[in-house]
Amino acid sequence: MVWSGLVMANNVEHPDEIPAELSGIESKLKRWFGYNQFKVIGQSQKKLVTGSEDWLASSKYFSLHVDSKGETDAGYLLNLKLFQEKSVLLETEAKLSKSCPFVIKGPPVGDGLLILVLIVQ
Amino acid sequence: MKTFEEKWTAWLDGELHGEELVAFEASLPDKAAAEAEKRGALKLGDLLKTQLQNRAMGNEEFFNHQLRERIEKETETAAPRERTGTPRALWPISRLAWVGATALAVFSICTFFVMREKAPTDQSQYLTQILNARVDPAMSPNATISMFESKEDKVTVLWVEGLQFLPAEYATK
Repeated sequence: MVWSGLVMANNVEHPDEIPAELSGIESKLKRWFGYNQFKVIGQSQKKLVTGSEDWLASSKYFSLHVDSKGETDAGYLLNLKLFQEKSVLLETEAKLSKSCPFVIKGPPVGDGLLILVLIVQ
Repeated sequence: MKTFEEKWTAWLDGELHGEELVAFEASLPDKAAAEAEKRGALKLGDLLKTQLQNRAMGNEEFFNHQLRERIEKETETAAPRERTGTPRALWPISRLAWVGATALAVFSICTFFVMREKAPTDQSQYLTQILNARVDPAMSPNATISMFESKEDKVTVLWVEGLQFLPAEYATK
């Protein structure tokens, strides 16, 4: 099972509780990005059967297209595309490990930052 | 040809004779002072001769006795080693065993640390690996991409800097 999320990070006086999907990497997110609140604005949870599937995690203006090219013992070979509306903002290919989340620093939005997170659950 | 110093020394020692003596004494600028110096030198020589004579040992019997005793003692202590004929063991068995055990322990500790250093390298296959990444240069001409694989945090981060700033409404769900 792969969880993909579009996460808005910002600093507020009274931060909301971090979403359950991110609780395992809360301290790392805070340390890496320097924000105290993380809110999921779009997500997808995909159970991979064949290992070669694709899916989309979307918010109103962003969408993350994930294309799985296959599965190995270590994880999944993924092709990721971040769209801002219909334009490709960022594209990457990665071997997503089952024991190592993949985090992408996206564009600055308002007083915060868009972060993309992929976790094998 | 003798130098003045050589002639002076010879004159002090009374070794100049005949014409050489007459010529040398004629060449002295102040013969009276030279004569006085010669007398002083002779006097000092006599004094040294009398003082530097061998002093008679007053207690020679006692000194001989002490010397003999010392030689006998040293001979006795050296004798047992010569009699046994076997050299003293440099490393006794017990010490050898301890040194062996210590060396083994040090080797084990070093091996442990070397293996422990090696372990994280083996774990690298369990980190998410970024194979490639790119941004659209038309949309984000100043964007730069950095990749971090943090073994400590067990997280891989694709750090994209310089993407275009977007207004707050883009944070809408």
